[in-house]
Amino acid sequence: MRVETPLLAVENLRVRFHTPTRIVEAVRGLSFTLGREKLAIVGESGSGKSMTGRAILDLVPWPGEVSADRMEFRGQEMMGLDRHGRRAIRGKRISMVMQDPKFSLNPVMTVGQQIGEAYRVHTKASRSEARERALAMLEAVQIREPARVHDLYPHEVSGGMGQRVMIAMMLIGEPDILIADEPTSALDVTVQAQVLDILERLVTDRGMGLIFISHDLPLVASFCDRVVVMYAGRVMETLDARALSKGKHPYTRGLLGCLPDLDHPKDRLATLKRDPAWANGAGT
Amino acid sequence: MNDAITVSGLDVRFGASHVVKDVRFTVGEGESYGIVGESGSGKSTILRALSGLNREWSGSITIAGEPQKAKRPPAFYRQVQMVFQDPYGSLHPRMTVDATLAEPVAIHGLGDADNRINRALADVGLDGGFRFRYPHQLSGGQRQRVAIARALILEPSILLLDEPTSALDVSIQAEVLNLLSDLKGARGLTLVLVSHNLAVVGHLCGRVAVMKEGQIVEEATLDAIRSGDIHEAYTRDLVAASRRAHGAITAC
Repeated sequence: MRVETPLLAVENLRVRFHTPTRIVEAVRGLSFTLGREKLAIVGESGSGKSMTGRAILDLVPWPGEVSADRMEFRGQEMMGLDRHGRRAIRGKRISMVMQDPKFSLNPVMTVGQQIGEAYRVHTKASRSEARERALAMLEAVQIREPARVHDLYPHEVSGGMGQRVMIAMMLIGEPDILIADEPTSALDVTVQAQVLDILERLVTDRGMGLIFISHDLPLVASFCDRVVVMYAGRVMETLDARALSKGKHPYTRGLLGCLPDLDHPKDRLATLKRDPAWANGAGT
Repeated sequence: MNDAITVSGLDVRFGASHVVKDVRFTVGEGESYGIVGESGSGKSTILRALSGLNREWSGSITIAGEPQKAKRPPAFYRQVQMVFQDPYGSLHPRMTVDATLAEPVAIHGLGDADNRINRALADVGLDGGFRFRYPHQLSGGQRQRVAIARALILEPSILLLDEPTSALDVSIQAEVLNLLSDLKGARGLTLVLVSHNLAVVGHLCGRVAVMKEGQIVEEATLDAIRSGDIHEAYTRDLVAASRRAHGAITAC
């Protein structure tokens, strides 16, 4: 059997922001490959996790600048594509669920219209066909009364429902890769379990690749297959999710050490000691 | 030990929905009391009723021996302060840290604002360089520290905390939790901590109320929870979920 080309291969990805006073490097030399699996990117806020997701979709806002030695989607180089080429991939082949449904949904369109719009951008479907698809997608993300929810505005749905609406919108184009940016951090434990269930099924049934961006280490350890630990725009280490607790890098150890534990109470939680040398590539 | 807070028969209704149902609990002076439950279980509503933000309630609330009415006098707020979940939303974006901290001092006519502000910032581990910054120039952890400083500047004896760390990274969460336990020790504060994370509550509190659908289904000490001496199936689920989450990391 031939070796399957990975869904996504990224090599030496850099995202820079040119500001009047200095150049801010959000992502510095990130490399990874994604197969049909659940890959987690963890790190603190500001470590460049979300920017990595945006760079893959060419959604880095001005004045950001993206460069990479290689960014291949199923063997096709994406860096050389023009805006139209990238747009054809975005949403249809690779899509992204943003962090906060409250700010990412259009407040003056019903959720059904928004899901339908995502479909009609990429196919020449009629309005009624888009509505049918939108209803089917709402059902697929386990919303109980799809017909009622279809006509609601974003402020009328709960946080968990909004998140599922976003997932429905991103999945309607049947992408090969889904980038989920903190998809469950605004949700309750029970709703979180439902959303994870949906994602899990998509990976196993449809062979989708999932990039799961999160800062929740316990969640990632139990849900994902592989974990990339990021700090200051660099990969600190890449681990098998089940071996996350055996991570050797001091940053990984530090993140694990500051979790409170119900059964082993400590007087003081360990706080993270950040070594400036990590940002310059030591330990990678 | 005197009781700092006594709540009995507390009911809160919003229109037709009955959000808090016949809740009773007491918190001793200097004690840390936790309330856990899912969102929508009414835990934040209890805090809002305690702090006087929500005036539509029935039942009785006694704070530091004083029975409370719906509307609270200004003196009440010198005694009871609250820290909110989201430091991005709870600080005014167009007020500097200095202005944010000066406002409660001016409202209560305490005077000596300059020294009070410096002291409050030092208490939460921020140096003077932060005093004239705007919230957007601070990180999440620094903002939550400012929010805590804003609550502490009136030197309250009771601090109500509504999910104080759930909007923060785990590394920042550890810093804020350490800060809270230091302050508790140094000032003898009475804390009421609301969270959906049992491990966070367990870190600070000795006693926990478990809420479900507006009712306290069980009240237990942390020791009882750790040793498994619990009676409600729902509490057991919560404990199991918390252990599972942590076990995924430490099991291997």
